[in-house]
Amino acid sequence: MTVHSPTAQHRSVPLRANAPRLAGQWARRAPLLPALVFLIAVTQLPFVATLVISVLRWNALDPTNTGFAGLRNYLAVVTDANLRSSMLNTAVLTVAVVLASLVLGLLLALLLDRRFLGRGVVRTMLIAPFLVVPVAAALLWKHVLYNPEYGLLNGVLTEVWRWFGSDHPPQPDWISGMPKLAVEAALVWQWTPFMMLILLAGLQSRPIEAVEAARIDGANAWQVFRYLTLPHLRRYLELGGLLGSIYIVQNFDAVFTITSGGLGTANLPYTIYQTFYQAHDYGQASAAGVVVVVVSIVIATFALRLVSSLLRNEAS
Amino acid sequence: MTALLESSPPVTPAVPRRRRNGRRTLDFIAVHSVALALGLMFTLPLVFVFLTAVMSDQQALSSELWPREWHFENFVAVFQKAPMFTYLTNSLVYSVLATAGMLLSSIPAAYALARFRWRGGNLAFMLVIAAMMLPPQVTAVPLYSMWASGHLTGTLWPLIVPYFVGDAFSIFLLRQFFLTIPEDYLDAARMDGCSEFQVLYRVLLPMTKPGIAAAALFTFLYTWNDYFGPLLYVGERQESWTLSVALASFRGMHRTTQWNLTMAATTLVLVPVVVLFLFAQKSFVRGLTFTGIKG
Repeated sequence: MTVHSPTAQHRSVPLRANAPRLAGQWARRAPLLPALVFLIAVTQLPFVATLVISVLRWNALDPTNTGFAGLRNYLAVVTDANLRSSMLNTAVLTVAVVLASLVLGLLLALLLDRRFLGRGVVRTMLIAPFLVVPVAAALLWKHVLYNPEYGLLNGVLTEVWRWFGSDHPPQPDWISGMPKLAVEAALVWQWTPFMMLILLAGLQSRPIEAVEAARIDGANAWQVFRYLTLPHLRRYLELGGLLGSIYIVQNFDAVFTITSGGLGTANLPYTIYQTFYQAHDYGQASAAGVVVVVVSIVIATFALRLVSSLLRNEAS
Repeated sequence: MTALLESSPPVTPAVPRRRRNGRRTLDFIAVHSVALALGLMFTLPLVFVFLTAVMSDQQALSSELWPREWHFENFVAVFQKAPMFTYLTNSLVYSVLATAGMLLSSIPAAYALARFRWRGGNLAFMLVIAAMMLPPQVTAVPLYSMWASGHLTGTLWPLIVPYFVGDAFSIFLLRQFFLTIPEDYLDAARMDGCSEFQVLYRVLLPMTKPGIAAAALFTFLYTWNDYFGPLLYVGERQESWTLSVALASFRGMHRTTQWNLTMAATTLVLVPVVVLFLFAQKSFVRGLTFTGIKG
């Protein structure tokens, strides 16, 4: 957003000062660096280990038959119909949930940006879903809302039909009828408040003078939104999309709880868990893990743009 | 004219007064009803959780929405039916120790990333971001094998220890906060003979308290909510279950369909998070927006 003058100042210190001063600086910094080096080693090494295991033939149920497998695990991941569908599911789930919650979040943020009575209360109410422990949220949707016999959705349908004098309300079985939508709806409910919070902060940092100037020049509400608010919100939308994608790609709780990966809803994290924990095929689970990383990189390419703009700001 | 411009809602003088008032009333009603409807839509499931929690066993299995009798003793029954105190203790041990570990390990690393200029500094930052985006399932195989060979699966250690090494998201967040403090303050402290550690703990930390609070809050929430980690490492040993694992197994464990008790347990898990959030709402939101907007 803005270039930080202190950072800029800090950066303008010449890199190569005279040698004794440099040595002195390093002596001062030395105690802090191991923390960083250690951290990078520890956070990256497991992934390197995953890469190594992914080319091994290693099934915990058959410990004697281990060895180098080349790309066979990857071949299995790519050719296995289940794994392929779980890859597709991961991509669809992430994109659908991120987009839907961004749009809903934007609408809610625009609403909360207005002044009205009880705004604080409404904001707290809207944030509530984000505070629910994800497993509890998944359980809540599965049993409290979707249950065909005593769920809230069918309960409401019964009430509404009763108002119109009908005793035969439709009682759909939500989860088996529309399993993917069921998982997505639960996740959108949880992630919309998160997007709303980010976008609301964006709206409130909008320079009000520009908006007023545009209004005086005769811009209508839509034009103000389209040409002032939306460009201003771009970075906030990107941030919400980035953070949302990071967490929804790795979503496990909702899929595991609502459908147990059945009915064609299994995503990659769930499949990895299955391959690892039930089938004990460590090699193939690792290969699937590497594929998850590739998929997330593809989904979050725009994230790199954000990061590079962060770095650019510092360099200037 | 200038006086008009200063008042916050921009006024178009061309619109007749009465029409304007009429439009405003309409606007008022529209905004409030939409806000109320949305607020209800998002909270209704939670209200229903609470209502089911206080229903009788039979009524919880009906499609009725309002409890006929209020059974507040269900909350006590949850503790009698399941070792909730054990689960609560496990959850607290995990979240509190992980948060403490994160603060110990991530603050120095974030400081080094924010303030030192060294060859490979940008690469180190990119690696931290990469680590942040790495789903936990990806590295589960090597890490699980490692902990299993040390016979530590089934305990909370595999969950807690990584935070004492450093948490990528917290490092990223803290770095963003540390960058906002002018270097002059730190230089002044160095002139006065402070070591880098003293600069960090005496000068920088007191100035970035909101950032520290946000990072601690995020770590606490993430670990409190964590389901995959506990399921993987302690899923097969019930004494080590956290609340999230216990909650998911609440029904299967007792072979009953006591929704009221399941919902009462859910309510009990939700309350600490809601209370924590209400107290720390501000630093939570600040932390969220700080991660990417300031640089």
